[in-house]
This record gives sequence, C-alpha cells and structure tokens, in this order.
Amino acid sequence: MIHFDEMACLLYLEGQLDPVRAQELSAHTEQCASCRAVLQALQHETILLSSALTEDNEAIPARLISQPARAWPSWVWTLAFGIFAAGAYWLWADGIAPWFAQLSNAGFGGTDMFSMIVFSGAFWEGWSDMIDAMQIGAVILAAILVIAWFRRRLRRPAALAVVVSALLFALALPQHASAAEVLRGRAVLIPSGNVVHNDLIVAGPSVTVDGTIEGDLIAFTRNLTVTGHVTGDVIAFAEQSMIDGIVDGNVRLFTRSAILQGAIAKNVSAFSNSVNLGSKSTVGGGMIVFAAEAELDGKVQRDLMGIIGRTDLDGLVGGQAWIRGRSLNVASTAEIRGPARFEGREQPTVDAGAKLASPIQSEITQEGRRNRRMRARLFVRTVFGYAGALLVGILLLVVFPGFFRATLREVGTIGLPIAIGALGLVTGMFLAILGVLLLFIGVGAGVAGALAYAPILYVAQVFVGAWLGNKIMGEPPVATSAIIGRMAVGLLILRVAGLIPILGGLLWLAVLLWGTGAVMLGIYRITRAESAESAPVQPLPA
Amino acid sequence: MSPAEQAIAPERIAQAKAGNAEAWGELYRQYAPAIFRFCRRALPTREDAEDATMDIFIKVRQKLSQYDASRPFSAWLYTVAANHCWDVLRRRKLRQDLETGEVETMPLEHPDPGQLDRLIESRSSQEVRRALDQLPSRSRMALVLRYYAEMSYDDIAGTLGVRRTFVGVVLLRARHQLREILQGTGAGLATGESA
Repeated sequence: MIHFDEMACLLYLEGQLDPVRAQELSAHTEQCASCRAVLQALQHETILLSSALTEDNEAIPARLISQPARAWPSWVWTLAFGIFAAGAYWLWADGIAPWFAQLSNAGFGGTDMFSMIVFSGAFWEGWSDMIDAMQIGAVILAAILVIAWFRRRLRRPAALAVVVSALLFALALPQHASAAEVLRGRAVLIPSGNVVHNDLIVAGPSVTVDGTIEGDLIAFTRNLTVTGHVTGDVIAFAEQSMIDGIVDGNVRLFTRSAILQGAIAKNVSAFSNSVNLGSKSTVGGGMIVFAAEAELDGKVQRDLMGIIGRTDLDGLVGGQAWIRGRSLNVASTAEIRGPARFEGREQPTVDAGAKLASPIQSEITQEGRRNRRMRARLFVRTVFGYAGALLVGILLLVVFPGFFRATLREVGTIGLPIAIGALGLVTGMFLAILGVLLLFIGVGAGVAGALAYAPILYVAQVFVGAWLGNKIMGEPPVATSAIIGRMAVGLLILRVAGLIPILGGLLWLAVLLWGTGAVMLGIYRITRAESAESAPVQPLPA
Repeated sequence: MSPAEQAIAPERIAQAKAGNAEAWGELYRQYAPAIFRFCRRALPTREDAEDATMDIFIKVRQKLSQYDASRPFSAWLYTVAANHCWDVLRRRKLRQDLETGEVETMPLEHPDPGQLDRLIESRSSQEVRRALDQLPSRSRMALVLRYYAEMSYDDIAGTLGVRRTFVGVVLLRARHQLREILQGTGAGLATGESA
C-alpha cells in the first residue's frame, strides 16, 4: 500500500489540500491504521502547540495599559512649545544676553558657553583647576554604583521609601524660606525706625529699606536702596542696587549697577555691569566681582577676585587680589596687602604712591596665543568628555538595562522628549539660578537640586548618541556589545559635531533638551512599570 | 478561536476610523493585550515585545483608514503586527531569508506516530514554550502566526515572503525542529540566532 507523507497529512488537517486529494486521503485513512495514527499524532501536536502558545497569558506591562504616547492631543504640544519659547526668550533676554555682554567686556570671547560655565565654575571653586568633564563623569559613575548597590540590597518598597523620603526632604527644605515675610507692591518702603523681625522677601518696582530687618533681605526689584540695617544677608535681583546702610551678613547682587557705600560685615559678590565701592564703605570679608567696570575706592578686608573689564582700584585690599580683564589701574591711594595677580590684554598701570605688598604679577594674553590654548584645552576636554560619557553609558547599560532601553525608546519618539526636556531645562535653569543663591547662603537645597539635575543633563548625550548610532548602523541585535558599539559611534559624532562653532552649540542644546526629556520619561516609565508590576492581570478579551 | 477574536462592534471600529478618540481607546484596550502576547511569542525579549506593541498600535492608528471592514478586524490587526515583528527581526538580522532552498530539500519521512505521540504526551505547555524560544526566527514566527494568530496560509505567505505552497513546508519543518529540541537533540538548531 502507498502511504501519504506527513506533509500531505498536515495539509489535510489544516484544510489546505485540494478536494480531490483530500478525498483520496480520507478514503485511504479508513483502510490504513498507520496513516490514521500519523493524522492523530499531528492533530495532538497541533493542540499542544495551540495551547502552549495561547496559555500563559503574561500580564500586559504597565506602560502598555495606557495608549501610545503619540496619541497626545496636539494642543499639549502647542502648549509645551509655547511655554518653551516664552521661557527661552526670557532666558535669553534677561539671562544669557546680558551675561555675554558682560563677559565680552570682561575679556572673554563670549561665544563658547561651555567654557564660560566651566570658567566661572572653576572660579567659584576658588583657584583650583578647571573641572573637566571626566571629573563630572567620575562622580556620576560613583553615584550609579552606589545606587546599584542600594538597589541590590533594598527591596523595592524600601527603595521607594528612600526616594519618597528624599523627595519629601527636598520639598521640606524650601519651606524654611516660606516662613519669611513676603511683601509685594509698587514701592515697598520699610521706614526708618521700623523693625522687621523676620526674613523679608520683597518684589516691586522700587524697594527701600530705611529701617531694620532682623534676618535676610531678598529683593526682586528695579531699584533697591538699603540705608537701614540688615542683620542677615542681602540678596538682590535689581537693575540698580544701592547699599548705603549696615549689613551684618553677605551681599549678593545680580544687578546692572551696584553702588556700595555702607558697611558690609561679610562677603560681597556682584554680577553687575558696573560696581562702585564707595570710599567710605568697608567689606569685612572678601569680594567677588563679575563686571564690565569696577571702581573700588573702599576697603576690602580680605581677598578680591574679579573678572572685570576695567578696574580702578583706589582703596584697600586686605588679602590677595586676582583680576582678569582688559585693564587695571592701581591709583596712588590704593593698597594691596597680599600678592596681586592680573591677567588681561593691557599691562596694568600702578600710580606712584600705591602700596603694594609685592609687584603685580601680570600675564598679558595675546589673542593668538589665547586662542591656541583654548583650542588645545577644548580638544582635551572633548576627548575626556567623550571617554567619560561612553563609560557612563556602558555602565548604565550594564547596570540598568531596563532603564537604558526604556530611555532609548523615548529618544526615538523625538517630539515628546524634546518638549519635556525643554520644560525641564527652563525650570532647571530657574532652579540653577536659585541654586546659586542658595549655595551662597549655605542651604543644602541648592546643592541637592543641582545634584539631582546635573546627572540627567550629563547622561542626556549618552542616549541621544546611542539613538544616533542605531540610526546610522541599524537597530542593534540584543547583544550588549553591539549596543555599546553603536553608542560609541553616535557619541563620537556628537562630540565632533559639537566642535563646529555656533552650530555645535545649537546641536548640544538640542541634544540636552532631547536627552533630558527622554531620561525623565525613561525614569517615569521605569518607575511606573515597577510599581504596576503587581497590577491585576488584564483579562483576555475572549 | 484566536485570542483577540471577539467582536468589538464594527461601528466602534468605524468610529475609531473616523477619529473618535474614545472608540480608539476602547479598541486599544481590547486588543493591546493580545497583540502584546503575540509580539512576546514572536520576538526574543519582553522589551522588544513592549516596543513592538507600541509601534504596532501607532501604525494601526495611522493605517486604520486602509482597513477593509469586510475582513475580520483581528485578522487585519495580526497582519500588521506580524509584518512589523518580521521587519524588526529583519532589521536585527535575526531573520534567515535564505532558508527556502533548504525547505525544498527537506526529507519528508513518514514519522513514527507512536513515538511522536509519546513525545507530545510527555511534554508540558511550558516545555513547548521554552522549546519555541529556541527555534530559528522564521520557524517560530510561522508557528506563532498559524497557531496563535490563526492566520490563513495566504496571510502567512505574505508576511514571511514565501510562496503560498511553501507555507506548509515551513510549518512542517518548524514542527520537526521543535520535536528535535523537545527530544533534547536540538542543540545547535538555534545557531542562526545571534541573540
């Protein structure tokens, strides 16, 4: 007897055999036990396959329970971009543009935002070297390792508790300030003889303090005049600030013109177009000045540091002086008790009669040399930055593969992460400005805020780089090494493209927006997925 | 009956087609679990399946206007899903496009039904699922399309890019490979996988 082969049996079972052959097979199996047995065995196999495939209904992941993100209504986008545009304009008009103007007055090119930040950053740290990207990378690496270590040891609820309590702590911190008295008005005046027994936060076109404030004074105004007594610090964002009274704490000014006539017990820092330290004024501590021009006739008991376009020093500097800028003139009435150093374009002039502990060490930078040095520094920073970012990326991929993939996926959606990143950056900038303030008055919240935001900014490039690598070399297989290879290529392209003047800066801004948004979304998705892991199983529609 | 083969009212599909967000939401909630499970079986990792599910529904929403209401909706949906997954595998280079030659030369012996029955009876669904994961992509895909999504031979042929007459061969070959793995002789079968 001629038997039917297994193929024919299968096609017969699946209803795919043509009718004539199907009839033949059907007739044959009535006679042939062997072929009947094959049919039965195949049938059993089909049942086993179907049940194996349809059983085990794995719960649908939390992030799929809601609809795909692109289903967002268009007004959300419009709103997000609107807010971003407004924020970006505000940031440019009131923040970056005046800074650039000041810095170019102070002898900086003003085109390289990064070097500006790094320079001012290094400046704040004192006299130490530049913080390069590798160091930041190293700190973040350490942080990732610490988090990974905690993750292994803490169960999820515990980890969640840590995060939540940290957030609560961060939220609780600013409440300290909210205990202050808050005043708003067209012209705020604390009259002479009046005493405010609290911190005072004031906003209005003009703020005048003739009385006493037993606490800090924080002012947002056009004209600030302090002729009274402030027992704490004075922090002001103002067009014109005049401090003619007594301040027992520090003075921090972000202003266009700063006039200091009174007695300030501690330190002064001023970001201003012009700074005038009157001859009768005294600063008990040190002074840090970022300004286009400064006339320093009063007494600074400790160090003076400044990035100042034109400096006229007529008064006293009790400690050392370090000034960078275009020109420095030390008048005959001036006195510098510590070592003095000047870096700038013109040789400093010292009038006869000026008392100097030692001659001014000056370094006159020529444009060409400075540019070459800047270029070399930029190259080194690029190489280190690349290595650092790649290392951080690899570590993220190895330690948190889920987060890495979720974030990478978010990068791929392009629109939403850019919008989120833009919002995040605007609020981040605001927090950073606030953070600078808080840093000065010594509250940990500023540090905490900066610590939380900086790593996100830093890892942004990793994900955009990985995405770019994928786009160029194709979607990677699951192998980690392939993903790393693509990330390395993407990051390299970003770094090299970043060296292009202006365009590179814009590119990095886009990378930051895009990447930070994706990281935030990635964190959101991963935390949601984790918290919903034990969510009830979605019943199958059937 | 396929896991998603229950009726979402045709009017709701028509409404979703016309841009009704609520109807679309209903449709998504109804079918997303089944499509996720389909992707889970067709693709190597859970993350891949999640990504693919998202992408498939984005595609479905864009292509909804092309849906022909005379066809069962779930069949159309599975076709979109299958094409997407197959494309993902292709991009990952996990797919073997040069298998057709081997298919034609596959020896089609008469199996020993007793032995096959014993093998089937001794294996649990879980073991079968594990064995499925070890199959080369096309074999796994073919079995998933046929026995999970219950797709027709025509649709399978269209998705896998083989001639219709080869679909049976691909399926039978996949069964043979699966049996080998279940018998413990499947070592090296999955060498085509780079995952």
